[in-house]
Amino acid sequence: MTMMIEDVVKTLDGKLVAGADTGRAVGAVVANDLMSDVLLDDSDDILLLTSLASDQVIRTANIIGAMGVVVHNGKPLPEAMCQAANNFGIPLVSTPLAKYQSCVRIHEFLSRE
Amino acid sequence: MNDYQPTILPADAGQKDDDIMAAHSLTGTKESPLVILEMLQRLRVRDVMKADGVVSVVRSDTLHFAQNLMKRNSISGVPVLEEGRLFGIVSVNIIIKALEGGYIQDPCHKHMSTSLVFLEEGMPLALAIKYFQNYTFGRFPVLDKDRKFVGIVSQRDIMRAILKELAEELARYEGKKPAAATVPFGEVSTSAYTMQQYPVVHNDLQNAGRAANEIKRLLAGAGVDKKIVRRIAVAAYELEINIAIHSVGGTLTFILDGQKVTIIARDRGPGIADIEWALRDGTSTANDWVRSMGFGAGMGLANSKRVSDKFEIKSVVPSGTTVLCEFNLKKD
Repeated sequence: MTMMIEDVVKTLDGKLVAGADTGRAVGAVVANDLMSDVLLDDSDDILLLTSLASDQVIRTANIIGAMGVVVHNGKPLPEAMCQAANNFGIPLVSTPLAKYQSCVRIHEFLSRE
Repeated sequence: MNDYQPTILPADAGQKDDDIMAAHSLTGTKESPLVILEMLQRLRVRDVMKADGVVSVVRSDTLHFAQNLMKRNSISGVPVLEEGRLFGIVSVNIIIKALEGGYIQDPCHKHMSTSLVFLEEGMPLALAIKYFQNYTFGRFPVLDKDRKFVGIVSQRDIMRAILKELAEELARYEGKKPAAATVPFGEVSTSAYTMQQYPVVHNDLQNAGRAANEIKRLLAGAGVDKKIVRRIAVAAYELEINIAIHSVGGTLTFILDGQKVTIIARDRGPGIADIEWALRDGTSTANDWVRSMGFGAGMGLANSKRVSDKFEIKSVVPSGTTVLCEFNLKKD
């Protein structure tokens, strides 16, 4: 099933904190806190799931052309991170869930017929 | 029996790199003198050298024979060649001394100069010009990578090539013909040459990555294929983060040149003692603070190499490391 950013927000009980919905669907999901690893993935339209709350995450997301970023455990998001997300137009979602829970819920959503 | 193999003084590798980097360390646009600098980097010695019909002598020829050859061809020096191997050069100075000393009938091998400075055919013209500035020779023999003689280059050859290229550049700017280096990327064309240089500060992870993101924006704006943009951006980002994390600081240079993009990351030290080790996945000297920011997994250099069409790294301890990544802009 196609998953848009609004589906991500609903599925993860999250909130769109910055950036705008670009109308792009999730092409692949990468759950990682190591930006070095994230850069190794060549998939298109990546939804990046991370516990790292810094503007570097947004810069990394922009480099790989990610369709969205989700930060977990309800971590407070620095102003610089939100600003970077707004500048690059990358949807930034905050969720109270742990990363593993997000992975499970997204998998369930994408597996629906 | 004497061994006539010349003493060849190889080009200083460090100097070569420095000269290339010096030319690349300026910022500007296509309207600036960078057009000339770029031209001097783009043109190689092989593009301007005289390769066919090079007049030469063999070791057993007399100096008198060499003198006549030089006179007939209006040249001031002649290489001593046998089966592609360069043994020496007989210059007009040697002929003058032979005439004064009364040994003009001696074979060339007795008096030819064997302490030779040569150019390599792949050297940029900018470097060849440095050689003419640093030495008083009127010409240099040109060797290929196997040290075989392939031609000869004089100051006149270089002047002719530069004037020809400048005339073509001028014609382009006057709109008489389209820029040769302007190529379409899908529906969009880019300007012939763009270069930007960004400083990268040690430990400044707040700003590291900004240059790579800016490079990505420039390329996307130029209409370059998305997948290629991503590869270039990844390499630039990795290299920029590397400079910030591992060096005392440096620069990231971006060059868009027709169908090619070059990213040059250059730092001022401390250098990498074991490059092979550094290129291995998962090797890193990053500290915990860097790792807490999501970096320092030891993939940077390996990943830059993975996404590049051409990857070169040169490092000197303690003076620094230069990494060059090249990308062809034709679609994958």
